[in-house]
Amino acid sequence: MQNSEKDYDYKEYLLILKECSPYDFSEYSDNSIDRRIKKIMRDQGLNMEELVLKTRTEPDFVEQVVEAITVNTTELFRDPQVWNHLLKKVLPTLKHQKKINIWHAGCSTGQEVYSLLILLDHLQLLDRAEVYATDISKKALEQAKKGHYFYNFNADKYRENFSASFEGESEPDFSKYFSAEPDKDHLKIRPDFSEKVHFIKHDLVKGPLPFYNKFDLIFCRNVLIYFQGSLQSKIVERFHENLFPGGTMVLGSHESLGGFFKTKFSKNGPVYHRTNSFHFKY
Amino acid sequence: MESTDFKLIVVGGSAGSFSVVSHILAGLRPDFKLPIVLSLHRLKHVRSGLVEGLSLKSKLRVIEPNDKEKLQQNTVYLAPANYHLFVELDGTVALSTEESHNHSRPSIDHTLGSAAYAYRDKLLGILLTGANRDGAAGMKEIADNKGFTIVQDPLSCDIATMPNEALKLFHPDRLMNPEDILHFLNALPG
Repeated sequence: MQNSEKDYDYKEYLLILKECSPYDFSEYSDNSIDRRIKKIMRDQGLNMEELVLKTRTEPDFVEQVVEAITVNTTELFRDPQVWNHLLKKVLPTLKHQKKINIWHAGCSTGQEVYSLLILLDHLQLLDRAEVYATDISKKALEQAKKGHYFYNFNADKYRENFSASFEGESEPDFSKYFSAEPDKDHLKIRPDFSEKVHFIKHDLVKGPLPFYNKFDLIFCRNVLIYFQGSLQSKIVERFHENLFPGGTMVLGSHESLGGFFKTKFSKNGPVYHRTNSFHFKY
Repeated sequence: MESTDFKLIVVGGSAGSFSVVSHILAGLRPDFKLPIVLSLHRLKHVRSGLVEGLSLKSKLRVIEPNDKEKLQQNTVYLAPANYHLFVELDGTVALSTEESHNHSRPSIDHTLGSAAYAYRDKLLGILLTGANRDGAAGMKEIADNKGFTIVQDPLSCDIATMPNEALKLFHPDRLMNPEDILHFLNALPG
């Protein structure tokens, strides 16, 4: 039923996309990519032939496809226990460093970037932080850069997560970080916070980073779940290279490392630390 | 009688389903082999504690799986809060944080539909009480892929919206109350 007009399937479509754009989704997990492409076709009322034609001829449409494929929702302080652990156990260990390098890989609309800035500010470490945030989607990045969110849809949940993340600590005022305009449905991050971050368009699947590439902290939350196992391994290996020894990697709360990497990282509560890997060399 | 040579059971439910699922898990044979995947809507502000609640009485292990985890026998898998859970062709679980479906994440349609495609006639789908239409389309997909379908009898439901929406779309193999569902499961071979 799906492939009526012409006998393309989504794998062939991905090859066409790869050929006429900078994007390569061939190692994304089958189920998700198949579903996302069907959704694009359904939403835009396109058959496969029309989808291919638009992809070949309209660069703007390609960006829309990328956004639709990589759509990934996020929230402020998602999984508060993770942020509470960072606040109490991880970030205080960086107190003696002059500089703290941070990379949010796949930052989506930026809520978790700002979550971390809030914790750093609370610990008075913000001045030392060099923060990079990357995403494949131009639209998501633009939203992240603005740091404007819908009040009605988000405010209650964000406040709840915010409080839970500071559990056991003195909780700062939410209004110190966000200005709320309920009547306009606006929830805005402090402008100096959004200016603090280098938001850069970057495809995680593609090669080297366009900025200094050693970090104390790497966040990549709920991004690897869209990749096949082989690609997941490749990316985690790169994170390993990009972390200082002892550096911290934070994944989504239901993402786990495969066998080989278990020796390269040690799990500490909800986060991973890069072990001193020379112990494992032969 | 129809073939009951199943490889996987998927269960969807929302309002009122916790006590039904809990009752079924408590009553299943301790050696019940088939993996069971649960896609249950959660109350907005009660995100955690469901797996612990279900574990209390269950004779089988109940876990919230990680992404790419392989489905195994004697185990009950609960879709984690705030993630969609899909069943893949290779018998693994895939998680996703893409947008809510029918205002729900996890979405029952996503779990049921993906399992229907992956397991075809080796799938047993069960839809329980609920206040939302999520799950109806997923159950139909199970039927469309020749899986076996059981819908909770609306008369036995706390809120019958979910079963009633499903019954508009297709004719299930069985309409059962929770007690009969439990007997049906315990009578499965293996």
